[in-house]
This record gives sequence, structure tokens and C-alpha cells, in this order.
Amino acid sequence: MGLAVLALVALTLVPAAADYRAYFAVAALVAAGVLLVTIVIGPGKRPELAVTRPELAVAGAATVSGTAAPVGVNPADAAVVSFLATLQEKGRLVDFLMDDIAIYSDGQVGAVARVVQAGCKAVLLEQFQILPIREEKEGSQVTVPAGYRADEYRLVGKLSGQAPFAGTLMHRGWKTESVKLPRVLRTGDDRFPTVAPAEVELQ
Amino acid sequence: MSNRFSFGIDLGTTNSAIAITDLASDRTEVVEVTQILSPNQVGERSTLPSALYIPHPDEFPENSIRLPWQTEVGDAAIIGQFARDHGALVPDRLVTSAKSWLSNIHIDARQKSLPWNSDINEEKLSAFDCSRRYLEHLKEGFLYAERRKGREWNLSDGVIVLAVPASFDEVARNLTAEAADAAGLGKVTLLEEPQSAFYAWISQAAKEWRTQVGPGDIVLVCDVGGGTADFSLIAVSEHEGTLQLERISVGEHILLGGDNMDLALAYTLKAQLEAQGKSIDSWQLLALVHAAATSKIALFNDESLTEVPIAVPSRGSSLFAGAVSTSLERATLERVVLDGFFPMTGAADFPREARNVGLREFGLPYASDPAVSKHLARFLVRSLANVKASESLTRLVGARAAAETFLSPTAILFNGGVFNAAPIRARVRDLLASWTQGPVRELEGAQQDLAVAKGAALYGRNRATGKGIRIKAGTARSYYVGLETSMPAVPGFKPPVKALCVVPQAMEEGSELLITGREFGLVTGQPADFRFFSSETRSGDTPGQILPDAERELEEPSLLQVNLPSIEGFPEGQPVPVQINSVVTELGTLELWMKHTNSERRWKVEFAIRTE
Repeated sequence: MGLAVLALVALTLVPAAADYRAYFAVAALVAAGVLLVTIVIGPGKRPELAVTRPELAVAGAATVSGTAAPVGVNPADAAVVSFLATLQEKGRLVDFLMDDIAIYSDGQVGAVARVVQAGCKAVLLEQFQILPIREEKEGSQVTVPAGYRADEYRLVGKLSGQAPFAGTLMHRGWKTESVKLPRVLRTGDDRFPTVAPAEVELQ
Repeated sequence: MSNRFSFGIDLGTTNSAIAITDLASDRTEVVEVTQILSPNQVGERSTLPSALYIPHPDEFPENSIRLPWQTEVGDAAIIGQFARDHGALVPDRLVTSAKSWLSNIHIDARQKSLPWNSDINEEKLSAFDCSRRYLEHLKEGFLYAERRKGREWNLSDGVIVLAVPASFDEVARNLTAEAADAAGLGKVTLLEEPQSAFYAWISQAAKEWRTQVGPGDIVLVCDVGGGTADFSLIAVSEHEGTLQLERISVGEHILLGGDNMDLALAYTLKAQLEAQGKSIDSWQLLALVHAAATSKIALFNDESLTEVPIAVPSRGSSLFAGAVSTSLERATLERVVLDGFFPMTGAADFPREARNVGLREFGLPYASDPAVSKHLARFLVRSLANVKASESLTRLVGARAAAETFLSPTAILFNGGVFNAAPIRARVRDLLASWTQGPVRELEGAQQDLAVAKGAALYGRNRATGKGIRIKAGTARSYYVGLETSMPAVPGFKPPVKALCVVPQAMEEGSELLITGREFGLVTGQPADFRFFSSETRSGDTPGQILPDAERELEEPSLLQVNLPSIEGFPEGQPVPVQINSVVTELGTLELWMKHTNSERRWKVEFAIRTE
């Protein structure tokens, strides 16, 4: 899949293909999106992805033949919207962020913060395994070992020489080691999943 | 036949779960169930809420509620988490507690009457249909999950064990087995849920278990789930140096569980809010039930907390405007949950009986008394009566059988989510200790959640491999056929119905009996009905024994129907002499047959709903 993305990106650089460049770019994005989903969802859950692949092929074919085909919503984007919908459903996150907070008292905001915190935390714990990068207490002296993973550390202050580095732990960091996102059922749709449906009570 | 795996199913009243033992690796694990989490979202959860939602045809976009194994749209019912959560807002379309309807003697389990009392245009479902669908979902979910892990099973290569409440009578057990067959699971082995929890505990405690129980012990398995409470007693004895286990008593079907506790807390909090001049709508009440459940867990798990703040948001998109807040105090929690459901009542305090209203609307027979303590007291009294009724049980139980009022357990095994809370376990231990004048030890290492599914898989493993201990059990009840007494008619006096014992208690799986003492005459081409009775406290009754008054001493779970076709060699209209032949299959289901006295021909008797 990584190679496919490279190939498509490379094609956009070929002058003869200039007329189709925009379409190839879209196709490359879709491929990258699928790649992302593959990374996010992990290798154990490939059977569902098989469903998204034919659509990719269809989108690619349509662009090559030059017809203006409606390209479905990027599945990776759809997965993100779907996750946002879950945070809204369980933790009212979108309601919380979209409201005008300035007119309410701290007491009211605090009460609502509990709802948002409890709901979103439940979603987070259910769908990710969140772990601290460093177990030590913040403020304590720690050693960043030789061969440390660069993306797991932000080294600030006087940075020189070679690892191991000694310093004060300012933030313990977070990482995730397993992701269990729900799968979006309607892929290849021309709309994103709904973030929160309008609710109408019938009498 | 070589079995490759054992598949355990816990078809719960409120939540279901499944587990597998791979016989090659001898590893047992819970299998997460794929389900609809919201429209357009599918994912895995360790339990499948036993809730079924019948959507309106226009309610959800096409494909947005289709499970990965459903190849075509059509079967629109939704099962699981989303069905439960969404159905709470559209109760007319939601079926819950289908399992309890299965054991409701007043409503035909095959009558399409669910959701109960709702007037939707779509076709309704019967309790049997719902159970079949849950089982179908669990079966497909199992195969799908295993396929995702790269394992392909053929259901016929495994032992399938389905756990049912110990309080289920044979009619409900047979219906469950039949629903499993209709769901494509084939012939399943039935196992009582408390026994299942015990097998899970044995496996969990590993070699330790023999140090925790010994000969003379009577273990109370106390299983309180979301919607039901189920009790059993298991006696431990020794035979030629090895420990033996025997299930000696089972309880009645009690519709009382953790959900009742959360509801009670939510109503208490609602009253608390109203006393502060705040009102909440029905949607907020649902949020409050949810908040009550999580706060209950938080308080019970952390003894340093004195209260947990609770906020209920408004329903509209402006969260802040209508949000109300209060807090759940420890004192309130203890008053409502510990003192309300587990009060320190006496060993002779029985549950309040439901008022006998002449025209009571038939619905689920919810427990009319919320005190689990009183149901437990009644169970232990009935258990003693059951043990005293037979010599062999009296011998097995030993000195404790000589007690006057109730049978006191020496140890307790907790099961069910309610008992994750240490204070509730402590309360039950204190309660028992106050009755028995001595401590009742808690078996250690029990896992409250998912134990029944795992235990079912482990029992299947034991059956398939012949390894591991087996709890001696057999039928939990004795069964009787009603005999109309021939007496001269006396105005205003109804002659008593006598009862012929056709299945003794503890009749073992894979055995059969012929009741020779009594012959019946069946007429070909004419359906014949018999009254059918049961008892869980008459361990001493023997096959062929006749009780003088069935209605006074026994329960009446069903009606028996037998239909003799016109057959060659039997003249029309002339009675065919038959005897009753009872069979308990290897899989634990009861079959009754009418066997021709003079030949090997026999006709099967069907269980039918009793209609008054």
C-alpha cells in the first residue's frame, strides 16, 4: 500500500500526466487515507478494509478515464468524524465546545465538565489503551536513555552532546499501545457520518 | 467424534457473553461480540446486551445497521448495545428480559407478544424468537471473531454448552435448547448458571481450590445478575480420597438484580433534586440512572470517598442551560443499596408475597420484595426441606441436615456484577454469619463478570476430554403427571388432583425410566391433555409414587399434550394402553413419552402453555 501511494505521488510529477494531475492527487490522498486506516486499525482487522479497496479502484479508474466522477468521502475522514460522533454521544464534547461558555458561572461550567469528562474518558478508555511514557513523578530527575525514541520525547533547555541525557521530568507524556475503534459501516458514501442527529420527540 | 473446541454461551437476562476453550492449546478465553454501537458504527464488546430493537422501516439508512455477517438487508432487528441505549428512548420498540418471558407460565413463549403492551405496526416477536435471535447473533459473532483471528471452526467439531438459570424448569430449559437448535447451533448441552460459575472458579483458583473447600462444606453459589437472582447449594464430600461435588438444591426464579439497584438510586437522586426545586425530564432520568450506576461503583470501590458529585446535562445542544447537579452521598448509597436490597433481616423473614389481585394483568412476575436477604432466607429454608426429604441427601449433608429451620452454608461463592462491590459481599457474609452463628467464608479468586461464559466453556472441555471434576447434579426438580380423582360429584367441592411422580429429583443425564405401576388409555386421533407439576423441594419422591393433592404441594409449570395419530393395528376409538417413559438426555433436556404397554412403540409428549 505504501508503494502504491508513492507511485501515485510520483505520477503527479510526470509532465505528460499534467491534465490528470488533480485526479491523481485525490487518488493519492484516498490511498494515503486507506493506509492511515490500516495503520490505525491494525493488521488484525483487515477483512473490513477489503470492502474499502474496490472503491479505491473504482475511483482510480474513473479519474484515469477522465470523467468527472463523484469521489466518495475519504474513509479515514469518515472514521475521524465517527469518533467525534462517539465523543459527542457519550461525552457531549461537540455541544460543550460549540456553546458560549462566557455567560455561565463557574459552578455551571464545572457541573457540565463532569459530564464531559466522564463520558469522554469512558470512550477513551474503551477505544485506546492510554499509558504514560514515563512512570516517574513529574518534577523528579530522570534519564533519557541512549537509543531513546525521538518522537516520545521533547527535550527542551540546553540540548547538546549525546544521550543518555539527564533532566527534570516536566510532563510524563502519553502513548497508546492498542486502538479499538469502531468500524464505519457506510464507506464510499457521498456524505460524512452525522456528528449528532437532530432529535425530535414524537407524541 | 473428536472435538476440537468447546464453546460456552451465557445467554443472560440483561447481558450475554461467550467463551471458547481451544482443546489443542487448552486455553479458555472470552470472545468479544461484534455488534452495532450506533447507526453506522460496528465494533466489539465483551458482552452483548440482551436487548432487541425493532426499528421503524425509515428509521435508519440502508446498510447502517448491517452486521458484517449479514449478507442481505431484511432481518432488521438490532441486538446489543445500541439496541439497549436507543431503545430506552423508544420503549415501544424495545424487547428486554426475553429470557424471563421464556419461563413465564402465563404467556405462551411462542406467542408473538413482544415488545409487551406496545402497538407498533411491525410484526412482534415471541420470547422464543428473541432467544433464537440472540443465540444466532452470538453464534455468528463467535465464528466471525474467530475468523478475524485466523481461526476457522466448524460448529459440528465442538461441544456447545449453553448456561441456563438453575431456576429454569424443564419447560424453559427445553425451549432454550430448541431456540439454540433453531439458531443453527445444533444440539447444545445445558448447564445451570451457578454450576457454571463454580467451574470457572475451580479453573481460576487452579490447584488452590482443594485447599479452599473440603469434605463437609456446603457452598452457597449466590448469583445476582442485572435482572435476576439465582441461588444454588453445592455439597462437598469425599469418596475414596477424592473430592466430590453435588448440587443439592436450586432456588426459585427471582426477577431482582443490579438494574433494580441502579433504578432505586436514580429515583432517590431524582427526589433529592426535586427537593432542591429542580425538575428533570424523562431523558434526564435515563442519564441519571447511568450516572447512579457509575457513582455507585466509584463509591463502593474507594472507601475514602464520602460522596460523588453527579451532573445531568440538559437534553438540548446547549449543555449548560438546563444542567442540574447533585451528589450521591455514601450514607444514601448504603441506605438504598445495602439496607434496601441486603437488609440484616432474620433467617425466618421471608419476602412479602405479591398481593393476589383478582384481575392482575399478566406481565413479568417481578419480585414484589426487593430484599435479596429475604429471598435468600426462603431459599435456605426450602433447601433444608429438600435435603430432609431424602435419606441420601440427609446422609450427604450430615449434621447440618439436623437443623430445625434452614440449611446453613459453610462457604459462599459470589457471582454477578453486583458482587464486584466489596461492601455488598461483606454485607452478605455478615448476614449469613448472623443466621448461622459463625462465619461463612468467601471463596477467593472469583471473577464476577464473564465467569458463566468461561465456566460453560470449561465444562464443555471437561465433557469432551473426560478430564477435570464434574458436579453431580441431574434434574433439579422432580416432576409429576396429574391424575383426576374419581369421586362422586359434591356441589361446591372440587376433588383434589393426585400426582404421579414420573421424574425423581437428581435423575441423571443420559438415563431413562418406565413408570410401570400406572397405565393410561389414549385414544387414537384425539389429542389428550395432562396436567404437569414440579417441585424443587421433594428430593425423596420416587418414580411411580402418588401424592394425594398436587395443587397444594406442587408447582404447575405447563400442560402436557400428546396426539396419537390414527395407526394401523389400533382400532379407531379404542383406547391404547400406554405407560409413561421419561428420558433425561445426555444434553440435559427432559423428554416424556407415552409407550405402548405391549410393544416398543412410543409417542412424544409436548409441553404446552397452561391456559386458565
